[in-house]
Amino acid sequence: MVTLKQIIVSWLLLIALTLASVLTGKVFDNYAIFICSILLIVFLKGQQITDIFMELREAPKMWRMLVLSYVFIIPSIICFIYLL
Amino acid sequence: MNNASISSAMVPLSKPLVNERVNNKRLPGDLAMWFFILAELTVFAIFFIGFAVAEQLNADMFVASKAKLHPIAGLINTIALITSSLFVALSVRAIHLGNVKESLNLLIISQLIAYVYLVVKVWEYQFLFALGIDIETNTFFILYFLITFFHLMHVLLGMVILILVGLNAKKGAYKDDVSGFESAASYWHMVDLLWIILFPLIYVI
Repeated sequence: MVTLKQIIVSWLLLIALTLASVLTGKVFDNYAIFICSILLIVFLKGQQITDIFMELREAPKMWRMLVLSYVFIIPSIICFIYLL
Repeated sequence: MNNASISSAMVPLSKPLVNERVNNKRLPGDLAMWFFILAELTVFAIFFIGFAVAEQLNADMFVASKAKLHPIAGLINTIALITSSLFVALSVRAIHLGNVKESLNLLIISQLIAYVYLVVKVWEYQFLFALGIDIETNTFFILYFLITFFHLMHVLLGMVILILVGLNAKKGAYKDDVSGFESAASYWHMVDLLWIILFPLIYVI
């Protein structure tokens, strides 16, 4: 079972990453870096939700990897499309 | 006792410990719910990739259309869904610890925060309608209304599921087996997971 501290830290991280994604456009002028940063943030947020909120860090590895693959593969494909 | 006898004596003790650790790797909730979650993620993945392709094919139209969306509405909804998920996660923790009343209170807070999402989403649709924008305006708004409304339906379904789970918890249904509660919570977190991809795609990029 995830601890109370893990859940709270994860939530704070999710809020911070959300604000970071909004500010990213104002920080980076380079389009490629902007897109990659946004989609990296999506992956990091997805990992927090998968591992801590969904408690898949303590689940069989296959299920954790299956759900994590979505938050890795979808942003990667989107990143590839935007950078074409 | 020599070293050999010590190590042979330890084998029967260490094996169950290893097995116990392996068995502790438990999938929260019902297996069927996880297959359902993967199916839902796949459907939305197709939508998201379709949206990105359409944006590349109609770059100017998408930039102009995105400028008409309210910039703060997406951010408020993201924070609302993440915070609602926080309270659902805390509620699951409470039910694991046997604190049904605390779990119910946390579930009610999560639902109240989810209402913020609903109100903002409806307000956002009305804001666009007032500008004369609807699903027939252009390709961007076809995809915008399709994806966000489909997501909204999932939020509503998640809320109904969590209300039913809360009522069951009140009747003491999860004293021995919390898998039903965990399944509902996992579905809710999936709705959150979808939004964290949807938000930058529609509002930020």
